[in-house]
Amino acid sequence: MINYLRKIFKSGWEGFMRQGFLTFSTSLVIFIAVVLGTGLLFFQGGVSYLTQQIKDKIDISVTFKSDVPRDTILGIRDDLTKLGQVKKVDYISPEDAYNTFIEAHEGDEYMEALGLLSVNPFMPSLRIQTKEPSQYKDVSEFLKKEEYAGYISEVNDYKRGVTIERLGELTRSVQVLGISLTLFLSLIAIIITFNTLRLSIYSQKEEIEIMRLVGAKNSFIRGPFLVQGFLCGLFAAIISFMILTIVLFIFNKQLTTLFIGFDSLAFFKNNVFWVILLQMFVGAGLGLISSYFAVRKYLRD
Amino acid sequence: MIQFKNVTKEYSPNLFKEAKVALQNVSFEIKKGEFVTFCGRSGAGKTTVLKLISCEEKPTSGTVLFDDMDTKDVKKSEAYLIRQKIGFIFQDYKLLSYKTVFENVAYALEAFDFNEKLLRDEVMQVLELVGLESRANCLPKELSGGEKQRVSIARALIHRPEIILADEPTGNLDPYHTRDIVKILLKINEAGATVILSTHDREIVNALEKRVITLENGRIIRDEEKGVFSL
Repeated sequence: MINYLRKIFKSGWEGFMRQGFLTFSTSLVIFIAVVLGTGLLFFQGGVSYLTQQIKDKIDISVTFKSDVPRDTILGIRDDLTKLGQVKKVDYISPEDAYNTFIEAHEGDEYMEALGLLSVNPFMPSLRIQTKEPSQYKDVSEFLKKEEYAGYISEVNDYKRGVTIERLGELTRSVQVLGISLTLFLSLIAIIITFNTLRLSIYSQKEEIEIMRLVGAKNSFIRGPFLVQGFLCGLFAAIISFMILTIVLFIFNKQLTTLFIGFDSLAFFKNNVFWVILLQMFVGAGLGLISSYFAVRKYLRD
Repeated sequence: MIQFKNVTKEYSPNLFKEAKVALQNVSFEIKKGEFVTFCGRSGAGKTTVLKLISCEEKPTSGTVLFDDMDTKDVKKSEAYLIRQKIGFIFQDYKLLSYKTVFENVAYALEAFDFNEKLLRDEVMQVLELVGLESRANCLPKELSGGEKQRVSIARALIHRPEIILADEPTGNLDPYHTRDIVKILLKINEAGATVILSTHDREIVNALEKRVITLENGRIIRDEEKGVFSL
């Protein structure tokens, strides 16, 4: 059995090495499919990054009356933290708000206006981030409770509600679009690869016939074609991995600017195992499966 | 060894072609060790007879028996069991283009799971027999027509088949190479193999002085021991 498999691998390897043009054209198409697959992985990474960025920017700001003691506010913060929808609550003291304002507006006309005041005009507040943009409503409902109403000066969700809702819809749309695009382009890549391999095996139809006539079993004919398809896929995956690595290391700065801050190189480094796995799976898998179906036509009963 | 009993072979019609009758009610028997030549014009049915023997085609009606086995019952995926008893020689050589002379000949043995240690010696021995031992590492595209045909013969002989099917083996060769090929076929037959040759070369048929079956329009019009070419 091992000897039989060795012969099949040897024959497949010979075909891969000697049928230069066929190997090149098949590998090229699989390479495109692998690049597309890898691109989609990065696209998903970019979409997640963008979604997270948007989510992080969505918050509810609760401003308390100036006479509300710090401990009361921290108590309300603890109550909020216990809510399942809440991701993070930050307490911002009047001093923190004052300092932040100074840092942001140093030297401009707002600072002049602030200078005219003899007291700190900022009031203590809580900045709340929910796990999902749509959950801001639950949090604002929670804050409308009678026990808190006396302390709260303003909950700014009423003004930003529409924006939050729209941003939420946008992130959902981007995700749905990303998944749809992934599925659509993957399907196209599979169809193109399968048809290319079908054509390349069709061009060897006569050779298959010769193998049959000299008395080779179907498995002995099919085996080398599968090995050849697998090797073409593996070759395409290795080349695409090398090109991807080089491109990311050389053009990372430009790519980060192009993709609104999404650091492709960092994503690549963090997911290198998945990138290799995906490329091997797409390349070798497509080569193997497409060869199987393409050669099956000539070996049917 | 091979029996045709009232065999008719029709090729199915399609949108552009009418049904074509390739063989009509053909019956004959070929015994072990015989040298039989099928002759006739192009389209007479010679190649169809060879295809029916090798299970490439199935008869439309009638029976083809190969070693008492009805070829109609043989599945396409099991046809290799019959083909392993046959050595093929074709007019267009049918060599695997990306394999060397050695590998082309060895392929037939590898397909039978032959002992690899003995494979090299076996192949070189057969290549020596056809005078191609020095061309073992050449690809088919580097060979002349005569050399290609000798590779094809070496491949047909390598597994010591019971039957050699030679379909117009000299069709693409000059008279010098034709004589060579015919000599080799006679040698194979003397060694005990059954040889079934299809040709429309008058000189070959007359020089052989063996059994000749003449076909015309899919029918046998003559079957003679030590026959001659007459059409």
